[in-house]
Amino acid sequence: MSGLVPPDFAVPLIARAPSDVLFRGPGRSFTTADLLAEAHRLADALPDAARLVNLCRDRWRFAAVLAASALRGQPCLLTSDASPERLRSLAERFGPAVSVADDPALPSPLRHVCLAGAMPAHEAGDTSPVMLPADRLAAIVFTSGSTGEPVGTGKSWGELAARSAAAAARFELRPAAPAAIVGTVPARHMYGFESTILLPLHAAASSWCGPSFYPSDIRTALAAVPAPRVLVTTPLQLRALLRANTDLPAVARVISATAPLDVATALASERRWDTEVWEIFGATELGSIASRRTVAGAEWATYDGVRLAPCENGGTAVTGTLAAPRALGDVVEVLDPTRFRLVGRGDDVVKLAGRRASLAGLTSILTGIDGVADGVFIAPDDLDERPTARLEAFVVAPGRSAAAILAELRGRIDAVFLPRRVVLMEALPRNETGKLPRRALQAMRAADVEDA
Amino acid sequence: MQRRVSDLEPATVQQPLEQEVARLLVEALQLDMPASTIPPEAALFNEGLGLDSIDALELALAISRSYGFELKSDDERNGRIFACLRSLARHIEANRTR
Repeated sequence: MSGLVPPDFAVPLIARAPSDVLFRGPGRSFTTADLLAEAHRLADALPDAARLVNLCRDRWRFAAVLAASALRGQPCLLTSDASPERLRSLAERFGPAVSVADDPALPSPLRHVCLAGAMPAHEAGDTSPVMLPADRLAAIVFTSGSTGEPVGTGKSWGELAARSAAAAARFELRPAAPAAIVGTVPARHMYGFESTILLPLHAAASSWCGPSFYPSDIRTALAAVPAPRVLVTTPLQLRALLRANTDLPAVARVISATAPLDVATALASERRWDTEVWEIFGATELGSIASRRTVAGAEWATYDGVRLAPCENGGTAVTGTLAAPRALGDVVEVLDPTRFRLVGRGDDVVKLAGRRASLAGLTSILTGIDGVADGVFIAPDDLDERPTARLEAFVVAPGRSAAAILAELRGRIDAVFLPRRVVLMEALPRNETGKLPRRALQAMRAADVEDA
Repeated sequence: MQRRVSDLEPATVQQPLEQEVARLLVEALQLDMPASTIPPEAALFNEGLGLDSIDALELALAISRSYGFELKSDDERNGRIFACLRSLARHIEANRTR
């Protein structure tokens, strides 16, 4: 299956055999039949009619809530940013919404259901296959728009199933030897959602549902699953794994996404663990659309059925596996409809911990705070490479302290985008037209660092 | 039954290992503050110091280099270990191999 799935077509919620293992954790495993039974149980048990905001960290639980949402005929709401402000704005937009999580400490302003506690026993329930219309929405995935307001993208089951099939073909997932995926990326992030939740539902793979954050977690997880192993991670965690200089069981493939991976890290990883390091290219709005083996060069090859075309406005349109063509947010050089090179992201877009934000959007939130006369968010030039690098805010706010401004920002923006420094200024170096030239901002930053 | 740490040690004065761990925090995370000003019982994450998940990864590497043991995800415990400088120093004291 590749390309567009006709809307009147039906796709299976889970395209695996009843006894296939979909999720594995420490001392536990869950099959297709387990997932269907748990999904039916949750679909009945969760509050009626409300949209489900899926905040589960455990991948098995996340998949069960997703499947329960599908059985209720609703899209699951997914947001990388789980700040109270974001959750409130989703509820305002969608009416009754219930947040479902497995962390009792997670603060949620919504009606909240916590699934923490003992894992449900394997029990007999309704495990008959579930077919869904291809155009039914599986999820609405939210990102911060350029104004800071959340923007949702609907994902249909047909689109997601087609992309799982394309990824399975690209990464050689074969039913004869199902891959054991160990993912380090949160399931509610689009890349984590596709590669650690949807792949096991649609392709010959299982996904680890235990801890996978620290290098020692990753090593333990890989040792607990059968070969062929696939590590799905980020440049940040891959570099941490290299620096921890840890031995790993045989890993057939490492897949990285969320930020560009440098060739040195890819090469060092391939040598250290005798593996292949691949990158996935995608965006929340598009999902995964292309891949490359990092050490093989800068060229990306699109997934089967995905094609790129330059647009009149200088941007790039993506077609295939999507209901309608979409514009690419990144600047690329299209070599032919299935191959491209990455040129960069717009100046305004920053990425941290796999999350994207618009500096203009963050700035408008900052300047909307009471008592803030002027202000701007700035990203250091080495934001992508230096793990300790974070955004900074320069603020004109007579009578307010840096700590007070930081406290106001907290809860309104995702924690990783909170400024590491809030620098109070008498005025910002605006030019005659009221703009803040990049050079003036850099000079202001340099002067402040000297003062410190 | 867990005793409150503040019953045993002054809440605002860094103990010797806490001073060392505070320096490690500032150095590893390039924090823009003197190590001696980190309150031993103030939150490290979210409010307080405002650390995030990227910092946790960086901190784990620094701790393993300096104290010879690895941090693991253990949802039950991690919230307590990373609660504040004092709890982190206690965890290091209990698990260090050097």
